[in-house]
Amino acid sequence: MSARSPRGSLSGASSAEVGDDFGESLKDLSANNRYEINNLTSIAKEYTEHAQAISKSLENHIKTTAPSRKLPSLYLLDSIVKNVGTPYTVYLGRNLYNIFMDAYTLVDGNTRRNMEGMLKTWKEPVPGSMETRPVFPLETVRPIENALIKARTAALQSSRQGQMQPPPEYRSTPTPPQHNGRYTIPPSHGQGQPYGYGYQEPNAYQQSVPSGFSPASSVQQPHIYTAPTPQPANDVANIKRDVATLISQHQAQFGANPFDAELRKRLEALISLQTILNSQALDANSLKQIRYQISALAAAGAPPRPTPQPSYSTPQQWQSPASIPQPPHLARPPIPYSQPPSAQPQISAPFLDPAALNGLQALLANGQKPGTPQMRAAAPALQNASHTQLNDVQNQTASAPATNAVDLIASLTKNGLLPPPPANSAPQVSAPAPAPQQQSTASLLQSLSSILPPTSQRGTPTLPPAQLANTGKPRIPMNAAALKTFRPELIHTLYDAQPNQCSTCGRRFLATEDGRAKKARHLDWHFRTNQRMADSSISRGAHRDWFFPEIEWIQFVEFDPSTTTAADTNAAAAAKKEKQKQLPQEQFVRAPAGMTKNTCNICFEEMKSTYSEELQDWVFVNAAMVQGGKIVHATCLAEMQKGQQQSQQGGGGSLAAALAAVGSGGGQQRQRSATPDSSLGKRKAEDALAGMGTRMRMD
Amino acid sequence: MALPGLSLPGLGLSQAQSSAGLYTGSSSLTQESRMEDLAPRTEWRFEVSFQQQYTIRVTSGHAELFGVELAPNQPYTFSGCKAAILTWHGCQLEVSGDAESEYLGQETEYAVEWLNVHGMLETARDDAQMHSSEGGPRVLVVGPDFVGKSSLVRSLAGWAVTYGRTPTIVNLDPREGLLTPPGSFTAVTVGSQLEVENGFGISPISGPTITPVKTPLVYHCPYSAPPEKPDVYKALITRTALSVTNKLEENSGAKQSGLIIDTPGTLNDPKSNYDIITHLVSEFSITLILTLGSERLFNDMNRKFGQQSSEAIPVLRISKPGGAVERDAAFMKQLQNQQIRQYFFGTSKDSLNPHSHTYSFAELNIFRANSPSLAASSSSMDMDASDAPYASHADFERMTPNMEMLGRLVAIKFCSGSETDEFALRDSPVMGFAYVSEVDEAKKRVRFLAPHPQKWGDRAVVWGGWPQAVTDLVGSGTKQY
Repeated sequence: MSARSPRGSLSGASSAEVGDDFGESLKDLSANNRYEINNLTSIAKEYTEHAQAISKSLENHIKTTAPSRKLPSLYLLDSIVKNVGTPYTVYLGRNLYNIFMDAYTLVDGNTRRNMEGMLKTWKEPVPGSMETRPVFPLETVRPIENALIKARTAALQSSRQGQMQPPPEYRSTPTPPQHNGRYTIPPSHGQGQPYGYGYQEPNAYQQSVPSGFSPASSVQQPHIYTAPTPQPANDVANIKRDVATLISQHQAQFGANPFDAELRKRLEALISLQTILNSQALDANSLKQIRYQISALAAAGAPPRPTPQPSYSTPQQWQSPASIPQPPHLARPPIPYSQPPSAQPQISAPFLDPAALNGLQALLANGQKPGTPQMRAAAPALQNASHTQLNDVQNQTASAPATNAVDLIASLTKNGLLPPPPANSAPQVSAPAPAPQQQSTASLLQSLSSILPPTSQRGTPTLPPAQLANTGKPRIPMNAAALKTFRPELIHTLYDAQPNQCSTCGRRFLATEDGRAKKARHLDWHFRTNQRMADSSISRGAHRDWFFPEIEWIQFVEFDPSTTTAADTNAAAAAKKEKQKQLPQEQFVRAPAGMTKNTCNICFEEMKSTYSEELQDWVFVNAAMVQGGKIVHATCLAEMQKGQQQSQQGGGGSLAAALAAVGSGGGQQRQRSATPDSSLGKRKAEDALAGMGTRMRMD
Repeated sequence: MALPGLSLPGLGLSQAQSSAGLYTGSSSLTQESRMEDLAPRTEWRFEVSFQQQYTIRVTSGHAELFGVELAPNQPYTFSGCKAAILTWHGCQLEVSGDAESEYLGQETEYAVEWLNVHGMLETARDDAQMHSSEGGPRVLVVGPDFVGKSSLVRSLAGWAVTYGRTPTIVNLDPREGLLTPPGSFTAVTVGSQLEVENGFGISPISGPTITPVKTPLVYHCPYSAPPEKPDVYKALITRTALSVTNKLEENSGAKQSGLIIDTPGTLNDPKSNYDIITHLVSEFSITLILTLGSERLFNDMNRKFGQQSSEAIPVLRISKPGGAVERDAAFMKQLQNQQIRQYFFGTSKDSLNPHSHTYSFAELNIFRANSPSLAASSSSMDMDASDAPYASHADFERMTPNMEMLGRLVAIKFCSGSETDEFALRDSPVMGFAYVSEVDEAKKRVRFLAPHPQKWGDRAVVWGGWPQAVTDLVGSGTKQY
């Protein structure tokens, strides 16, 4: 795996070394692997003092690595600037134009779209952060956008069917078109958009270019769309948020049970639903239905089981819109290849010539399906799916390339996510917006992945590393067959999964907040210890303590003093005090002034006071104050009280009894004598001292 | 740093060693250091005598020693040690100092197996975490001597701790102590990282320590090998098991992390039909048996406890590491002496001051644990009949101190010296060990070297044929303590 985290002490290592080490780690970054990106991000975060070297190293890597590896590196850049921020934004921002454009010119269309999506997010604040400034300053991002627009315009002019075709209208806008069409939401309601892609785009409601290799993307109808029945934006936003929540829940479940086919279906359906929500305007009725269903899903906790579905929809099914049950007033586009060209006049395409359009439709009709690898790349959420599963999805979505809302709603219905619509809801063919239907599967999936929350498998993974460590851990059965296989993932759990290493003792910590806090405490502990050891007055008189007696050892909770907080220690101490109250021999009484000796009124033996370092005072140990201010042995007192409530004896006593009963067949005499320390019998002050060697010093 | 405990005259080896340890920095300057490049999944094996100093520093990559990762660029100094530094990722080592042998080991298939065992235990611990009523894995490691049992236990403990577990380690080998001098059984729940140089580190002391301390529960086993006194050995196993089981019940983290038991090679006695192992398996409710080295032992274990038997405990045969070498009697003796010395004086990093206590014969309650080896070694016992309520064939005999005790390690038990019950004497855990530095039969006085400034009152003091006498632990200069 990657992430040989830079070695060397935090302060000692030179920036050049850190940069070189980081560069070395980058060489392993070959795929969009969220663990690796996470690890590298946390390394970058830890070594912010070497940000310049790390930035340089990353920049060089992006420039020199193979085109196929550029995107993961760019995702890493994205992750670093979003999760760490300054100073990386400064260092990386300086040369961002070159970093981005050099990579952009070398990669394929798919990667370019990913890069465009990423670029878009850089103009905005990090989702969910308090920071209101964009990731990069607009003056850093804008030149890149302008260059992209120029490039695409040139491409459009040279070939109308080229892959990157922005409509000329976009030339003047600062924002490049986004694949997840923004026309669904009137700009005034833009803030309802959960991930805020491009909501400052004034023309956002115009259909943007679903960029990419979908030939349909050139069927552009700017300005044609008018929002249907205006929806209260927060309504849509609420549903979207709910859907996003459900998706993340399902993703978490799916992560735990990657082989649960039903879960996968539901997840896919939910993602499709999210796409529809994001890409199309839905009328009140369908929104209501969806909302109802979503809330039912969320409330149920256990989502409804989809009805068994032997086969997915076939193209024939979808060619006949009338046969598809559909909510009324759904903004549903005409289906280009099943419709006579005469239907096209509805679409006013001022700059498109019909011949080109027909050519595109022909292409579509030829069933240009995206290849599986592209789909995998486009929808990392499906990376775990098998080939056949992916084909199912493809069939489901690509079989009718011209539609999406229709068949996705239908498949949602089939999967039990949406109730069947009322029978009288006749499908409406006269939908005003022809727009999103032309998205091919790949671009659909692409937009899916781009609208997924950042917690998904995008370039900025935020999966908690505790979970990370768990997910990376293989389950190994306890048998001889499993013994010989080399499992690098086990090594990963011991090394790379805990990238945060103490340079003094080599101990590792997780790259989480908690891990960092622990490491900080651990380093403090090293410092304190070294300081104390250097102080000869403390260390010179050191001696080994007596070992613990059984009961104390049994009740002693091992903790690591180097990482335990004061609060934890206090809690532990409080818990221990609680326990001590039950142990009479550890009770003590502060010695009254001038009183160094005392006679126990129960056993008439002498008690001597001792100095407690903990209390900084003279105390009688194993002592209790009884009525009248007399001090007696606590054990004697307990013995007396025990006699009085013999029958109610339980709890701690059972342990002692168990210990005493050891040695099977012991008689009464042995039971008493076998455990002089653990039974609640009398212990002299000296006995108690032995157990408290750390705290007491003899007078 | 002044080390008063080490500046005493007559400390012999310990002084030489410790002072050498203190000046490693300067001595390594004079010695030529060399770089060794290790490919992934190879190991650097070395054998260092007690008179030698051998320093290793990881300059790049990752390396571990028995489950504990070496910190980058930190020098680690070894003495009296036969070990191997393993790298999964490849690394570069800077090596300096002397060793009896050092070479690159390519055969690390054993490490893959060991790591897989760790993976199996982790799987079982995860299961225990989910079904909280069940405990984690309880592992018994058996095999002949010098096949890497203790190294396996240490590696499994080290990995588990790295993963945030708190496994409980039980050592039932009286020849080599764990956090203790030899002659003891130890149970310790490991809650903090292990050490590279010292393995399980150090038990609690009164001052600060370089690494977090480990708190052991200690029982006294005054025999070098179980077959000497199988009954006592079994009773001590029962007692240890009871305490450990109680501890695991008290602490859910420890319970989930499970138990790993290290045993001496002499435990495997086919003649008694593996009587002691059978006892161990039932007392600790073992859930996994790992056998090392001996194919016969594996087959016997598998027949007796394996899936086909009524016990149905998985029995796995684990490879012996290529670097496992026999530690001859002289080496073992030196190791034992070193452990005793370190109990009183600490290590060069954590130095300790022992204390001297003088007791009159009358104050002392000394018992001798009889064993065949002791009887053989001391044919002329000067026994006071009135002080010996037990017949001479008893396991423990009250005795008056004599010259025979000189140089011996005695165990101070928690139980009172007025204790007359033999079983109580046997089962009581150890409060500490003391070293008999002087027996004055004329003045009827015994001088002890004890770890703690506090006297132990009338507690029972027990000694036996094991461990053997150490002659050069202290000289005459310890009076001031």
